[in-house]
Amino acid sequence: MIISSAKPFEEILELLEGEDDIFIMGCNACAAKLHVGGEPEVINMKQRLERAGKHVAGWMIPSAACSVASFDALVEKNPALKEAKVILVMACGSGVSTVSRVTDLPVYPSNNTDSLGGRLHGEVLPELCAMCGNCTVYYFGGICPRGQCPKQLINGPCGGSVDGKCETDAAKDCVWERIYLRLERMGRLDLLEKIWECEESTG
Amino acid sequence: MPRAFKDKLLSDDFLVTAEITPPKGTDLSGALEDAEILRGLADALNVTDNQRAVMRMSPLAVSRALLDRGHDVIMQLTCRDRNRLALQSDVLAAYSLGVRNICVMSGDHTTKGDHPRAKPVFDIDSVQLLGALRKMKEGFDLSGNNIGGLPGMTVGAVSNADPSKPLQMLKLRKKIRMGAEFVQTQAVYDTGRFEVFMEQISDLDVPVIAGVIPLRSVKMARFMNGNIPGINVPQEMIECMENADDPGREGLSICAQTIRDLRGLCRGVHVMPIGKHSRTPELLEMAGIRKG
Ligand code: SF4
Ligand code: SF4
Repeated sequence: MIISSAKPFEEILELLEGEDDIFIMGCNACAAKLHVGGEPEVINMKQRLERAGKHVAGWMIPSAACSVASFDALVEKNPALKEAKVILVMACGSGVSTVSRVTDLPVYPSNNTDSLGGRLHGEVLPELCAMCGNCTVYYFGGICPRGQCPKQLINGPCGGSVDGKCETDAAKDCVWERIYLRLERMGRLDLLEKIWECEESTG
Repeated sequence: MPRAFKDKLLSDDFLVTAEITPPKGTDLSGALEDAEILRGLADALNVTDNQRAVMRMSPLAVSRALLDRGHDVIMQLTCRDRNRLALQSDVLAAYSLGVRNICVMSGDHTTKGDHPRAKPVFDIDSVQLLGALRKMKEGFDLSGNNIGGLPGMTVGAVSNADPSKPLQMLKLRKKIRMGAEFVQTQAVYDTGRFEVFMEQISDLDVPVIAGVIPLRSVKMARFMNGNIPGINVPQEMIECMENADDPGREGLSICAQTIRDLRGLCRGVHVMPIGKHSRTPELLEMAGIRKG
């Protein structure tokens, strides 16, 4: 899922300075799961904006803000959208960008988009994948060094890890330690032998 | 004409390399004085590349200045500050300036240095850079364009020397498979452990030059353990330092003993003192490998 976090409300108010008749659009996918764009957050946003003197024209929670058929399809779900002068999207940057493609109204983000991650037992796992476009995570026991090593080292760890912790942050495990332990449990340490050469097109 | 480092690697000599730090600023005199101390003692001088992510003069310029004064150099090259274009381009520049030895490494992360907000590059890693250099030596850049080769270029790599770290050992093997022609290690204090390290790679035919850093104080010895990756200062050594009247002298004498022990185990030592090389001649004389 796309990991995003809520901007401080003061920043949102600043963005919306001089704007009114706001339509709030949540997102029932990642943002809802992360509690930054589901129904409770959208309703809370509506109340806070109203308390700040704004008029909220309406709201809706599409199944995914990043997957929209057309502006008319959105209006069909809530005709109040037609009366809106601006849209506040409570989703990730992709959601904000997709909605911006179907309208010329100003579209504002309520969230910051941080990384491509996941959630496990309710815990957010940030930066799992760097979206390199050629997935080889299997070779690393499902723990991607491109996404999780601060140096993106794919041929093995740097020399800077102390006691299995990352050179850049002593509170974080070196991702290569985790890769090693996982492959050891899987009985697949042989996968580590592969040399990842630098590929460059020769076209 | 003195023999090139490449030929010395092929000989049976016990080699001495030493680290030279480029200046923070434009004045080369400090680095040149440090190199002068080592004249006739070191076989080649490693010129560091924004070491510990602290911004300094480019090793290209410092290498050239040292070559001009008759020193042989090993230019270090990190993957932290340059993408594959800049890395290859600096290798060509180094070659044209006379550099014939390059030692590659990933480099410390930018967050550890004096410009912590700098964007870390790490476009390719040290194993991939060795592959790129191998290709360049064969006459091609990474894209396969003809660049005419780098005749006489020798390429090395660095490694921790801790046999209990399988991933470090694995990476070292990859570096050698990708063409590293020599290896310079992190500082060695525990020669017993180093011996196990050498046994683990005994199937590989690569000259290993062991790093040494003379201890200067008990505090430094304690700090090394647990703060500097890959370094293990044995407890007896710390005790010797504690009981010494002159810890500086004791540190040198411990280091000289380490060098004597290393002599039978590997192909040379790489001296990386904290600060200047003023006491390196004394160290090498105590170790019985050079006359100071
Ligand atoms: S290899 Fe890593 S960065 Fe690339 S797509 Fe797979 S998980 Fe993402
Ligand atoms: S310590 Fe591990 S995770 Fe951290 S930069 Fe080095 S290799 Fe990457």
